[in-house]
Amino acid sequence: MLFGKNVNRYYFKYFHLLIVGVFSLLLVDYIQLLIPENYGNLIDLISSKTLTSESLFEIIYNMLFITLCMFTGRFLWRIAVLNFGVRVETNLRERMFIKMESLAQDYFQIHKTGAQMALYTNDLMSIKNCFSDGIIMVIDAFFLGGLAIYKMIKLNLLMTAISSIPLVLLGISGGIIGKAIDRRFDARQRAFEKMSDFTQENFSGIAVIKAFVKERLELREFVKINKNFSDKNVSFIKFAVLLDVLFTTLISSVTVIIIGYGTHLIISTNGTDSAFTSGELIQFISYFGLLTWPAIALANLINIHSQGRASLKRINELLNYHVSVKDAKDCVKKDNLEGLIECKNLTFRYPGAENPSLQNISFTIKPGEKIGIIGKTGCGKTTLVDLLTRIYNVDENHLFIDGIDIMKLPIKQVRDLIAYVPQDNFLFNDTVLNNIGFSKKSISLEEAIKYATYACVDDNIQEFPHQYDTMIGERGVSLSGGQKQRISMARAIAKDAKILILDDSVSAVDTKTEANILDTIHHQFKNKTIIMIAHRVSTIASLDRIILMDNGKIVAIGSNDELYKNIPMYRDIVNLQHLERGED
Amino acid sequence: MIIVILLVIVWTIICIKPKKYHFILDENAKVSKEKTKKLEKGVYKLLLKYSKLQLDKFVVAFFMMIVAVGINLVTPLLLGSATTLLSREIIDVKKIIIIVVAYLIILIVACVIQYYQSIILAKAGDKIIYQMREDVFIKLEGLSIDQLNKTPVGKLVTRVTSDTNALNDMYTSTIVNLIRNVLTIVGVVVSMLLVNVRLALWVFVSTPVVAILSIIFRKLARKIYRKVRKGITSVNTSLSENISGVKLTQIFNQETKQIDSFKKVNNDLKSSYSKQILLFGIFRPSIYAVYVLTISLLFYVAGNDIINSNFALESGLIVIFYSYIEKLFTPIQNLAEQFNVLQSALAAGERIYEVLNTKPDLVDAEDAFEVDYLKGDIEFRHVWFAYEDEDWILKDVSFKIKAKETVAFVGATGSGKTTILSLIVRNYDIQKGQILIDGIDIKKYKIACLRKHIGQMLQDVFLFSGTIKSNITLRSEEISDFVIEESCKFVNADKVINKLPNQYDEVVRERGKNFSSGERQLISFARVVSHKPNIMILDEATSNIDTETESLIQDSLKKMMNIGTMLIVAHRLSTIQHSDKIIVLKKGQIIESGTHLELLAKKGYYYSLYQIQYKNENNEI
Repeated sequence: MLFGKNVNRYYFKYFHLLIVGVFSLLLVDYIQLLIPENYGNLIDLISSKTLTSESLFEIIYNMLFITLCMFTGRFLWRIAVLNFGVRVETNLRERMFIKMESLAQDYFQIHKTGAQMALYTNDLMSIKNCFSDGIIMVIDAFFLGGLAIYKMIKLNLLMTAISSIPLVLLGISGGIIGKAIDRRFDARQRAFEKMSDFTQENFSGIAVIKAFVKERLELREFVKINKNFSDKNVSFIKFAVLLDVLFTTLISSVTVIIIGYGTHLIISTNGTDSAFTSGELIQFISYFGLLTWPAIALANLINIHSQGRASLKRINELLNYHVSVKDAKDCVKKDNLEGLIECKNLTFRYPGAENPSLQNISFTIKPGEKIGIIGKTGCGKTTLVDLLTRIYNVDENHLFIDGIDIMKLPIKQVRDLIAYVPQDNFLFNDTVLNNIGFSKKSISLEEAIKYATYACVDDNIQEFPHQYDTMIGERGVSLSGGQKQRISMARAIAKDAKILILDDSVSAVDTKTEANILDTIHHQFKNKTIIMIAHRVSTIASLDRIILMDNGKIVAIGSNDELYKNIPMYRDIVNLQHLERGED
Repeated sequence: MIIVILLVIVWTIICIKPKKYHFILDENAKVSKEKTKKLEKGVYKLLLKYSKLQLDKFVVAFFMMIVAVGINLVTPLLLGSATTLLSREIIDVKKIIIIVVAYLIILIVACVIQYYQSIILAKAGDKIIYQMREDVFIKLEGLSIDQLNKTPVGKLVTRVTSDTNALNDMYTSTIVNLIRNVLTIVGVVVSMLLVNVRLALWVFVSTPVVAILSIIFRKLARKIYRKVRKGITSVNTSLSENISGVKLTQIFNQETKQIDSFKKVNNDLKSSYSKQILLFGIFRPSIYAVYVLTISLLFYVAGNDIINSNFALESGLIVIFYSYIEKLFTPIQNLAEQFNVLQSALAAGERIYEVLNTKPDLVDAEDAFEVDYLKGDIEFRHVWFAYEDEDWILKDVSFKIKAKETVAFVGATGSGKTTILSLIVRNYDIQKGQILIDGIDIKKYKIACLRKHIGQMLQDVFLFSGTIKSNITLRSEEISDFVIEESCKFVNADKVINKLPNQYDEVVRERGKNFSSGERQLISFARVVSHKPNIMILDEATSNIDTETESLIQDSLKKMMNIGTMLIVAHRLSTIQHSDKIIVLKKGQIIESGTHLELLAKKGYYYSLYQIQYKNENNEI
């Protein structure tokens, strides 16, 4: 049982499961307690030597009835309650995923992938526990426990009180040791995560470790981490075992108490009207046996509930996270965007950063223009093109598309206008075909080949084991940087948008291939706006205009020719890259 | 009847003989039956070998367990005789006191034994797993890059962490519980027979039903469990890549598509879970029903017997059998699940066995030696190399590089440039020919020594999470702050670093994602320089760095006295045009070599590359 803003709805949504589950649990709990009654009855009838075939039949008949009810009841609650938990988990996971897809970069910068994954695995698991095991435990702890205690009291109040002493002790020690166990469990979990993280990084960076002969140092570090986990593990187990042993011992000690005190009762009440019988003693022991589960359930319940609450808090943080990049309220819809980009005095800071990454940027790019961007590492080239895709918010009235403030345009429309080849070439764990067709519902092989040919990667793909059906993950490790770049390029070309942005997309491509790609850009994409970030002058020299950037500012804009003539900084770059002529 | 039961138990054990999964590093490999057997044997040998480390403790724990099981069997007898005594008209208080005291003593003994047995086992298991984990890590760390690259990182991590954990459970609880349960079942059966043969045989009627139910259930459960596991894996895979790729999805406006495909895997998982719930929903209540029916049967048979014996038999009989039935059903139910756990533990054991039995591709020769310094003469003599079979990547490549020379390799993608560089540091061994450094075959050097003196700037830059400083030193304490700063100055990374709020202590997030690719290249460049290599290998080392910084780096590298020879692969011809020698490769063969100007004069392949870049650069000047 868990309540909270984002989960209360499930009690209504899956009300049918809940109601069936709770009723069958109640039924099972009630029927279950009839077994000791019949058992005690039988013992009494034998002790008093009054058992007859008829009375035996009645008891057997009762037992068969109990069997039938128990089977049905147990079947129903399992199906209803456990499915309730699964449905809650599934639905919550879906909502979290949908929310995640809508969040802006500010969320992802604070939350590591590993931490986000933990939300979907550990936290979701503990919430599911609250909704399935939690409900069972609530009902068993209170209803079954209460009923058993009630029946015990009806047999004998004092004996009930005496036999509850170990239970109370159990509750207290369980609470104290339980907390200690939780702490140790967490510590062990953290130690395990540390070990996972370490090995993960170690094997991801194994090329570096081997190149620098750091195997020994890495091993030394691993030994430390391994030892730490081992220590935490043993210290956890010590307490867990202690609680376990304490539990069984206290529970069984009650049997001794019951026999001892029961003997006293039987002897002292012998012959009176309210004589306590051996059958009742047996019945009492059986009731107590049924009471152990509710006691465990109660202890677990506290645990499950507190874990569930902590998890829900974290999941709420995701579900309630502010979506910072979203459509403006006074959105301007324009049917067909041409792609005229105007930037007026744009200054941009990353969320939370002190210094601006871009300062006073102004330029205009007309539809169909081919633009190059060049500048030093870290001067803001990628930031500038990122802003065009509205991945970040910009101040109003500085960046315009078709004369409309980008902040006023529907985000979907802006992004439909642009195809982007990012620097890091992220590919999905899917076939090459589906990666190229990412922007479409589906893509035919012919189309994919066409786009791959534009990106000069068709030849490579044809050499893959399953050509266009090759899974990226399978070959992931052996896909070279250049191949990834060009598949990512084919994916962007397949989007067929009016603006194509290439962020340092030919850095790992050889000269001839680069020339082919440039040829395609000039001849096949005449009508498209192209924005190309590059370091080689040869990549961008043939473009209409070049934006030269330095330190977050634009130094100059112009054709290769103009820049070479007028801008010393550009001339330096060209000269540095200038190739000595042959003697022809 | 006993024979029937024993047969059932034996049959159960035979049935659970672990099914073979294959976890060879290459998962698709089909393994022959013979190999499977060998593997199976190997796993048992391995598990035995490790358990020998803590053999004394296991023996102690085993004896403790036998005592505990014995004690467990006595308690119903005590309870039964107490009831019988109490049912009589004249109650023998003394005897009851004896019973109570005996019960109490047994309880305390059982408690102590239980505690120590668990702790001993846990500690033994922990020690074993600690050692095993270290062994696995050492083994994996010693494999060649080629071997490691064939397995996804996630799987390697699983070998070290989860698989060893699964074996921990096996050592500490699974096997012990299994033995305990089997012993308990046998003990209960024998005790029942000793107390009352007729009643015992009646009670046993239900055991085959339970056994058969359990076996059928186990088979189905395994199938569904696998489905559920698969479902969880696909949900998690989909999640993690969508979290990494969210920016791309947003830019491409494909949120709906990704959400739809996630909904599909999510719902698949849900239906697998539902199936699992249904299966358990039938099995568990069925077993419970059989249990209650057995009790009813006991009541009926024992009740009738008592009536027929005219109450010569006493009520204690029913109490004893009632308790024994309880003690019989719990282990039978648990057995089925414990075998599942054992099976997955054995599967993990197989995977670990595979790892520990993998032979590293590259090992030092017995007479391998170390040197303090490499001058930097490099020679390839008729080198033939293929990653696989006869698929030659290099065909009869020969060249000589003199110390202090700067040599560049040029050619199209797949021409073998990167391969040449990785052969020099012995990431692979060649099939034919010889590679010599300073006139000595590189196989004669210790691999560690070779790599220590050769600085590698790799194509794929990798940064570890930590700080800039930790990324440069890579845990080497002997690299001083002065050297770090000097190295950064050398490669012009200092300008970028000084701008950061924490400078050299600035946090680097996983894979360095808080730095641009150019910045990452600069930091890893500083890493190479700080390790003071004699020979330097640059594989597309400056592709994401602007030209000005690049030329500054090249100038400083030339000034560095420790560097003898420099080998460069780059696509930008401007990067390499001043090299002492340019070697042009095509499809694994050297087609021409010489200086920039010599090659231009030849008007060959290099000239055509030059034309392309020159034309693009100058078409408007």
